[in-house]
Amino acid sequence: MSSDSGRRRFDLQRVGELLGFYGSIVLICLVSFFPIIWILITSLKPASRVITFPVEYVPRTVTLENYVTAIQQAPFARYLLNSLIVASGTAIICVVLGSMAGYALSRLDFRFKLHVLMIILVSAMLPFFGRLIPLFELARETGLLNSYLGLIIPYSAFQLPFAVWIFQAYFKELPDSLEEAGLIDGLSHIGVLFRIILPVSAPAMATTAIIVFIYAWNEFLFALTFMTEDQMRTITVGIALYQGEYTYPWATISAAVFMSIVPLLLLMLFFQRKVVEGLTAGVGKA
Amino acid sequence: MASDTGEGYSRSSGGDLRSALEDRYRRYRKRRFTDGEMAALLLVPVLTYLFLVSYYPIIDTVWTSLQTGALLPTREAEFVGLGNYVSVLSSASFWNAFTVTMIYTFVSVPVEMVIGLGLALLVNRDFWGKYVAQAAILFPWALPTIINARIWAWLFHGEYGVINDLLVRVGILSQPFPFLSHPDVALGAMLFVTIWKTSSFVALILLAGLQSIPDHLYEAAHIDGASVFHQFWSITLPLLKPVILVALIFRTLPAFQAFGLPYGLTGGGPGESTTTLVLWAHQHTFNNLEFGEGAAAATIITLIAMTICVIYVATLYEPEVR
Repeated sequence: MSSDSGRRRFDLQRVGELLGFYGSIVLICLVSFFPIIWILITSLKPASRVITFPVEYVPRTVTLENYVTAIQQAPFARYLLNSLIVASGTAIICVVLGSMAGYALSRLDFRFKLHVLMIILVSAMLPFFGRLIPLFELARETGLLNSYLGLIIPYSAFQLPFAVWIFQAYFKELPDSLEEAGLIDGLSHIGVLFRIILPVSAPAMATTAIIVFIYAWNEFLFALTFMTEDQMRTITVGIALYQGEYTYPWATISAAVFMSIVPLLLLMLFFQRKVVEGLTAGVGKA
Repeated sequence: MASDTGEGYSRSSGGDLRSALEDRYRRYRKRRFTDGEMAALLLVPVLTYLFLVSYYPIIDTVWTSLQTGALLPTREAEFVGLGNYVSVLSSASFWNAFTVTMIYTFVSVPVEMVIGLGLALLVNRDFWGKYVAQAAILFPWALPTIINARIWAWLFHGEYGVINDLLVRVGILSQPFPFLSHPDVALGAMLFVTIWKTSSFVALILLAGLQSIPDHLYEAAHIDGASVFHQFWSITLPLLKPVILVALIFRTLPAFQAFGLPYGLTGGGPGESTTTLVLWAHQHTFNNLEFGEGAAAATIITLIAMTICVIYVATLYEPEVR
């Protein structure tokens, strides 16, 4: 009798806990996604219905005219292409150089290892603005302003410490027997690296590439300063500098913003586990 | 390792000339690089790259900060010693930017740490819909800062913004309030936006730390009759310390260098009420073309950032944990 009512009270408590828990989760999702949902709603309204107060929550007429305007008024396709090239180039350099250094720091035995690791990690803490003026001057002198390389080179340097860290954390977890087997089979060190280690490190490569790609896609300070020609702007700078002729065109901006976020949304959707693994790699073992 | 594998070879080489030669060739290939040589080969490109694009520019900035007209081709660079520092440090608007940056950094980071820890504790379990929650936590982090700024400028719009609409409907406001064009409120709105965006990043980092704490510690504490609060205080927090250090550094440095958010949300205004240090320095350098002063400001920013890092590491780093 008493044990029965005790169990029922326990169940009620459990239901309450679950409700509270899922309520919080739903609240988090709402708070997180609300801004982008609002941008989507705004972008689908006719421009005249956007500037009303009280606000119209469910658009009475849905239209794609803002998307057409956005594409016609500014070279958004070109901006997207510029961002794609810069972000991919940065990701490739970071994966290549990062995996090399990560391998050396995790699986080879040599002097000054800790010093080298410190040199690489401390460079991650140097403020970006502290490097902007000389790099701008250098880019101007070498003709790299308004070129893809002008952004790829600094972005890669800024993300290399992160890439090295991810790769060394990943390589540390691989069993020693991999290299021993390779060396017994007569491979050189370089052979072991290229024929054994790199092929099994695809997960670390994907993680690094995605996170570095997102960084380069999102960067603003250098993109604004180095890309002064309209045709060379990245998507973030393109949207930031996008102006209407008379009033600020919130409907068109919303359409442009939504288009610029779709590639990121897709990346997150397909690779969210890789992103989480990458952001937390090494941290758990710290 | 080398002697192990060598033994393997001599056992398999049956003694005839051909396999002896192969054996020697293999040893030659195997020993072509020692670990040290191989490490040098792999690390030289990265270190060269970092020295050229990260360390050299910092030194060059310091050098530029001691000169005037250094970047204008028409003028000769002239060594002015600490002249640029004097003019930067005696400028009222620089100190205003310094104050704005300090408030922005040291209000947003602690609040993000608390909310992030709450989020991490909440989702640190297996539940139905975990991936949706994870995506919701990742999304603000992945959103480009400048686009985030543009979105919130629209949400906070003084006449047609949805935030105003909601607050009026709920009855908190009687009429729309110009959040972003009121000098006393704009910085608060900016803090709200940055906390919205980056609490999730803190949550992800702390979640990794939580998952590395072994369950048996909690079980033992439970058997000893420790309360949930006591468990949190004497198990979770101390074991989370190294991860908290990582999150603190990863959040404080970017907050201290905020540029895109003020640029896109308020343009640094109204007045200079949301002008951060980097925004101030960028305007001085690239709008007013005062490269020497810009470089002096950049050097000051670097010094402060390094100081913050050193203080964090000195207070929180525990060598025995690593």
